[in-house]
Amino acid sequence: MSKPFILCVDDEELGLQIRRAVLERAGYSVRTALNGPEGLDAFSSEPIDLVVLDYSMPGMHGGDVALEMRRLRPTVPIILLSAYVNLPTEVTRIVDCSMLKGDGPELLLSKIQEFLSERAGGMSHGGGRE
Amino acid sequence: MKQREFRRILRQAVYVPILLLLLLAVFFIAQLRRFSNAVNDLHRADLITNSIIDLQKLILDQETGMRGYELTGDPAMLAPYTAGMQPIQQNFADLGSLLSGNSAQEQRLTTLSQRYQLWLSRARRIVANDKTLINNPEADEENKILMDNIRSDAHQMLVTQEKQREEQFLRETPYVTKADLLTTLLAAFIIGLIVAIFTRQRLRTVSRSYDATLAEVEQHTREAHESRQRFKTTLESIGDGVIACDMRGRVQFMNAIAASLTGWAAEDATGRPLTEVFHIIHEETREPAENPVKVVQRLKKVVGLANHTALVSRDGREYVIDDSAAPILGPDGKMTGIVLVFHDVTEQRRTEAALIAGEKLAVAGRLAASIAHEIHNPLDSVSNLLFLLKEEKDPARRDEYLTMAEQELARTMQISRTMLSLYRESKAPVTVDLKDLIEGVMLLLERRIAMQQIDMAYEFVEPCTVEGFPAEIRQVVTNVLVNAIEAAGMKGRIRIRLRSAPAEEFRGAGAMIEVADSGPGIQNGDAHRLFRPFFTTKGEKGTGLGLWVSMGIVQKHGGSIRLSNCGEAQYTGACASIYLPSKTLAGLDHPASPVA
Repeated sequence: MSKPFILCVDDEELGLQIRRAVLERAGYSVRTALNGPEGLDAFSSEPIDLVVLDYSMPGMHGGDVALEMRRLRPTVPIILLSAYVNLPTEVTRIVDCSMLKGDGPELLLSKIQEFLSERAGGMSHGGGRE
Repeated sequence: MKQREFRRILRQAVYVPILLLLLLAVFFIAQLRRFSNAVNDLHRADLITNSIIDLQKLILDQETGMRGYELTGDPAMLAPYTAGMQPIQQNFADLGSLLSGNSAQEQRLTTLSQRYQLWLSRARRIVANDKTLINNPEADEENKILMDNIRSDAHQMLVTQEKQREEQFLRETPYVTKADLLTTLLAAFIIGLIVAIFTRQRLRTVSRSYDATLAEVEQHTREAHESRQRFKTTLESIGDGVIACDMRGRVQFMNAIAASLTGWAAEDATGRPLTEVFHIIHEETREPAENPVKVVQRLKKVVGLANHTALVSRDGREYVIDDSAAPILGPDGKMTGIVLVFHDVTEQRRTEAALIAGEKLAVAGRLAASIAHEIHNPLDSVSNLLFLLKEEKDPARRDEYLTMAEQELARTMQISRTMLSLYRESKAPVTVDLKDLIEGVMLLLERRIAMQQIDMAYEFVEPCTVEGFPAEIRQVVTNVLVNAIEAAGMKGRIRIRLRSAPAEEFRGAGAMIEVADSGPGIQNGDAHRLFRPFFTTKGEKGTGLGLWVSMGIVQKHGGSIRLSNCGEAQYTGACASIYLPSKTLAGLDHPASPVA
């Protein structure tokens, strides 16, 4: 059974690598991208199950990236992870969930698991931390 | 009527009668001379007549004396003869000069004189006892004939003289008494008439002109009164306080608003020195402010009051006022007084203070968001690393995670320290390194700049330091830079230039910060409005207070802020130029307003 494939998009490279380690430790396959266009390339070419998306990035912010992803594959859950509080509602409306950086990995992992379970429905998957 | 014409008429009214009277005088003088000459001529004729009669009598007396002596031989008889000698000679000489010019009479006088001399020579011989002549009937007869001729000559002269006098009298006297009198009277009457008519006509012109002038003056007086009333009503009705003073600084006029603000009734204030009625002090130092009348007298132009001027009313109430004083100029351009116009800005100041506080809160909000963002990223990494550490068994990995966590915490500390140093407030002006200050601001904005992929250019030509309140200057620089970032948009360009600004005519040496962007630039007419409160071109995103507050801060430092369009190939948008003087004007009178 293949591991759920998660795409992480963030321009903070160190933070991105650490997040990758956390997600991999939790049993997920992780693909990272350092900006919006690179993330969209991966999203359209690879079988991504869930996206963890940063909001503020040079060139193309998370809101625009999420909009494009929704257009491409509307069913893939998107978690918007940002250092900003009070993001514009037109952005938070697009995504499935909006979280603040610093809320801790436990919350992020539980949300990921929740969305993946919902998406899988009757499908069997190897997600989770077991 | 013009004054020149009036004077001309006056001159005519004086000189023409004088001229005519002079003519009359000349005429009278001529007539008098003729009278005088006639009298002189008659007098002369009388003198001649008397002289001839005298001569005749003297010669007869001489002859009688001589004949007495001849008959008696008594020498005493010769007394008339001897006594007549001298007067007779004198009479001949007088007559000679009196008859000069009268040839006929002169001729007779000469004949008379010759006959007398002949007679005298014979008489002398008788007196000398010439025997040929004494008691010689023949000689006596000759003497008698000679004397008869002399008498006849004298008589003839007398008759001629009488006749000539009569003719002269008839020629001169009747003419003088009738024709001349008539002519003189007529001339006097005509001249008098001319003078009267002329003077009357001239005086009537003057009178008409005087009436017209009087009517004009009345009209002007009425208009001046109406105009005065209109101006007075206007001054009374306007919302500003107005006080007019004379050149000595004494109140002459005061409107109702001025009366209400100063606490003085207009009638009480009139005539008093302005300083007594218009008592102004510095709002914060409480020092008396300079008398605006003195300032206007010195500068001879419109002057505004210094900032922070408070008017203390008669009952001790204080009003923050905005004021200007201007010279009142007379028609000749000379200053005749000073007018003060002022209004109460106490409420306006309170509102402004509230707006500034609001903008400071907005700045603080944006700042908090930036700080949160900068801190949340490393915090997220640290919390993830702690999560990994919990279950990591491999010591090498654990060390790696710990090192990374330390790095992230150090980054957080650095951000926090930078923020604190950036926004530490000072109570007095300090030396501010503008390059450091701009770099500090950039640290906060760099993420946003990176997001918009803005191409930044820095031209920090030389180290520039100014005196001032760093937090406030930072607020200005942040405001201008945020505006530039928003204007430049995605993939735009911004250039920050810092240079020293040498002293110019109206400003001292200082520093110039210029921020140019590649945005759409400033619309025509917006350049000034951008500095007004609540004017924004950002729609809902802006408060419209940023540049207004920035301008206040820069002006407090004695500097200036200007917005223009760059018009350069790469920087097509707006260019904000901030000039700050090396020595700030801001300082002792009021502490810096802290940025929250």
